[in-house]
Amino acid sequence: MGKPTDLVQGTLDLLILKTVALEPMHGWGIAQRIRQVSHEVLQVNQGALYPALHRLEQSGWIKAKWGESDNNRRAKYYALTAAGRKYLEHEQANWQRLSTAIGLVLETS
Amino acid sequence: MRWFYKVPLRLRSLLREGRVEEELSDELRFHLERMIQERVARGLAPEEARYAALRELGGMEQIKEECRDMRQVHFIDNFLQDLRYGLRQLRRSPGITTVAVLSLALGIGANTAIFSLLNAVLLRDLPVQDPERLVLLGTARSGGSEEEFAATDLYSYSFYRELRQKNQVFSEVSALLSLTLGGMHGAVDSSPSLEKMDVQLVSGTYFPMLGVTPVLGRAFTETEDEPAGGHPVAVISYAWWKRRFGRDPSVAGRTVTLGSTVYTIIGVAPPEFFGTNVGQSPDLWIPLSMEKQVSPGWNGLDNKWFESLYILARLKPGVTLAQAQANVNLLARQIWHEYAGPVLTREQQQKLERAFIKLTPASRGLSRLRFEFSLPLQILMAVVGLVLLIACANIANLLLARATTRQREIAVRMAIGAGRSRLIRQMLTESLLMALGGGALGVLFASWASHALLAMVSAGSEPLPLNVAPDARVLAFTFLVSLATAVLFGTVPALRTTRVHLSPALKDGRGAVSMAARGGLAKALIVSQVALSLVLLIGAGLFLRSLVKLAHVDTGFNAQNVLIFAIDPVDVGYKEDARLVNLYQQIEQRVGAQPGVKAASVSFFTFNQGEWSDWVVVEGRRPNPENEQDVNHNVVGPDYFAAMGIPLVLGRVFDAHDTATSPKVAVINETMARRYFPVGSPVGRRFGLGNDPKHSSDFEVVGVVKDAKYESLRERPWPAAYYPYTQRPGYYYNLEVRYTGDPRAIIAEVRSAAAGVDRSLPVAYQNTLAQQVDRSLASQTLIARLSAFFGLLAVFLACIGIYGLMAYAVTRRTNEIGVRMALGAGRSKVLWMVLRESLTLVALGLAVGLPVALAAGRLVASILFGLSPADPLSLAGAALLLFAFALTASYLPALRASRVDPMVALRYE
Repeated sequence: MGKPTDLVQGTLDLLILKTVALEPMHGWGIAQRIRQVSHEVLQVNQGALYPALHRLEQSGWIKAKWGESDNNRRAKYYALTAAGRKYLEHEQANWQRLSTAIGLVLETS
Repeated sequence: MRWFYKVPLRLRSLLREGRVEEELSDELRFHLERMIQERVARGLAPEEARYAALRELGGMEQIKEECRDMRQVHFIDNFLQDLRYGLRQLRRSPGITTVAVLSLALGIGANTAIFSLLNAVLLRDLPVQDPERLVLLGTARSGGSEEEFAATDLYSYSFYRELRQKNQVFSEVSALLSLTLGGMHGAVDSSPSLEKMDVQLVSGTYFPMLGVTPVLGRAFTETEDEPAGGHPVAVISYAWWKRRFGRDPSVAGRTVTLGSTVYTIIGVAPPEFFGTNVGQSPDLWIPLSMEKQVSPGWNGLDNKWFESLYILARLKPGVTLAQAQANVNLLARQIWHEYAGPVLTREQQQKLERAFIKLTPASRGLSRLRFEFSLPLQILMAVVGLVLLIACANIANLLLARATTRQREIAVRMAIGAGRSRLIRQMLTESLLMALGGGALGVLFASWASHALLAMVSAGSEPLPLNVAPDARVLAFTFLVSLATAVLFGTVPALRTTRVHLSPALKDGRGAVSMAARGGLAKALIVSQVALSLVLLIGAGLFLRSLVKLAHVDTGFNAQNVLIFAIDPVDVGYKEDARLVNLYQQIEQRVGAQPGVKAASVSFFTFNQGEWSDWVVVEGRRPNPENEQDVNHNVVGPDYFAAMGIPLVLGRVFDAHDTATSPKVAVINETMARRYFPVGSPVGRRFGLGNDPKHSSDFEVVGVVKDAKYESLRERPWPAAYYPYTQRPGYYYNLEVRYTGDPRAIIAEVRSAAAGVDRSLPVAYQNTLAQQVDRSLASQTLIARLSAFFGLLAVFLACIGIYGLMAYAVTRRTNEIGVRMALGAGRSKVLWMVLRESLTLVALGLAVGLPVALAAGRLVASILFGLSPADPLSLAGAALLLFAFALTASYLPALRASRVDPMVALRYE
């Protein structure tokens, strides 16, 4: 924590879930995608990424499968489970509400 | 549906740990390679790219450990590790382990054994359908038969029939005779010889109401309740089927002959069903409608006042106990009123108003045992609980001592990064292992001990049919007790041991600070052990002294040299008439004429066999509180007083002149003489049974005998009257024989003499009168013996504790003692110094224990006899005994201290 690019825990979970919602992805891919989509603003700390992935997997939100990567290496691909999809929708709505609320406060005061 | 993913993952983490670890490495390595690739693509040299990537990634092992934590099975892993380590540790100190496990086995085993018995007598539900919906009318405190208006424990057959028809609260009602007819004699099939069998009479609704389905054949039903005498059928118990019929699969259809009636066996009860009376197990159940055939003397089916049945009923769904109680009491009043006729006497009116039927939940069945053993078993449970506590204190001390030697190991482990909580957990795992080992051995020990206990409870006769095999409840109890002991003896040592000051501990393996703390704690443990032992010893003293006092109670009869036989004229077809009286007289004459027999008599009761009590009304005397109480009655032969050794005080005993046609006579005891005939000699005066003055001249008093105990040794002097059987023909089952010489020869003589009168008459030797007296003290004996045993065990354990502590202290202080001696302290002074230290602890323990014992004594006051809970002799005796033992235990180490050679001790440094 403390560094500006660090992400609070709940946020990282949300980003990971959203990212793997499109297609199954390996850890490296997830980190790259988050960086690109956020225009290099969000740098996922690798030390936080893997524990988060394992936690989400153990909680049953995402499932893992070994597959071939684009350069023909074996990699662990994560995909959203049905329960994970619902959880994501729920969390995303929460986040939306929260950021709107924060925005309102910041604009008015 | 998340568990669909979660469960396999957890299992995989546990069972395929290697594979999971490999995948974790692969995954992270893949990531690292991509990072390196990326950096190479940016133009770094491969080596350099690798270093940069590693730097950015941070500690690879750290990430792995964090990922592992996410698996949430770490604690299981750790636990397994602790378990392996704990086993290794226990093996490393086999001495301590053995002592700890064995004393735990003893302590837990004793608890389990007592609990098994408690469970069987007090806790276990009947093996029937929905036992919690069963209720009993009344409390079943009385057994036998009453002829009283509005009795609320026992009911007549017609009362049962009406209640069953009219109530709105029970889905079914059943009745059973309050006595198991033990010692009946019948013939199986057409066998010529009679064998003993126990019979229970129950209504046809009994089995269907309980929901007990026979394993073979069928049970009888409501249709077998009518007509009277019309259904000679029997359901037999599983145990009897096994024992007598060798599990004959075609037993249904075979017959049992009782008296002149042939009963057809129709079914076999399931093995777990012993009936509804805990502690009794009938061999046969026969429909109540056969009562007249089974016990020809009774008229229970027709007589509305023959109150001899327990009523057991099943509540309708949704009906509460209170609702049922209201309905039953309303109905009962109507029924009683109807029986008494339109006009009630004032007394009947009062009784009717006062009568209240309490419904008792009957899920655990009925049991006379419960009344007798409930309190003793609870007391014993407390006693063995205390013993276990003392044992725990010992083990805690043992572990504290070992902790000192392990200080260095602990310090090393902490120095290289083991967390304190992890170490505590590890040490608790060790304690748990010991406790569970002790618990497992304890269950083995208990399965033996509970049978020994059962034999003690049964007091010499065949063991009571109680199932004391450990069931799920007992095993759960043992498991919980084991866990609790592990926490009790393990926690404090674990906390102490891990509170280490690293640098001194690493230097010489002994943390100076924790040593002082250990000393204080160990002393506190010793003080509490002594206190608890004192409580147990005082309890044992009180119970033993009560028992001794009871054993020295003047029974009023002479219990030595009397044999008691059971005769059974019913089952060989005698009616209650002159032929029966003739049989008794012939037996008395023939047996009385045998060499070595001094007197022989038939009687209704001897001692502690039940009671027949009723009011009496005295001619010319108005009832007053003095004489308005029950009198105990007995029916006897002319030689009864000689056989029992009850001395005649006034007048005469019965003789050949008292016949069926001569004036009715009675012999009374001194208390009755004093209370009912206070003025002048009672001889020649008259009285009658009941309270109707028109009967007040029925019996003439011809003699007065000394008071004799009737039901129990504890009873106060109570009025009693005796009647000759010649004037009251009936089935009397006791034959008592006063003898000299070898009892075995007498038994054979009595049998052949009786056979000379009637070859078919069953005559069985029961026991001596002295044994009968002992048996009446069964619960008292049980509690006295066991509390004495456990009291001594407690003292023994406490002494081991004291010895251990002092021996250890002396070893550690060898040096100091050496210095003292070198400076001129004499041997006796050193001896005293060590003794003083331990005796201070003992004195403290006694001071703490005494008030506790006095408080606890009040809880057991009701089963003490002839002494108060603060009996000075028991208190002083226990304190002295404990002090003497403790002195011995600390004398040995003190002696060793006084023999320290100063030169050796000083060089020791």
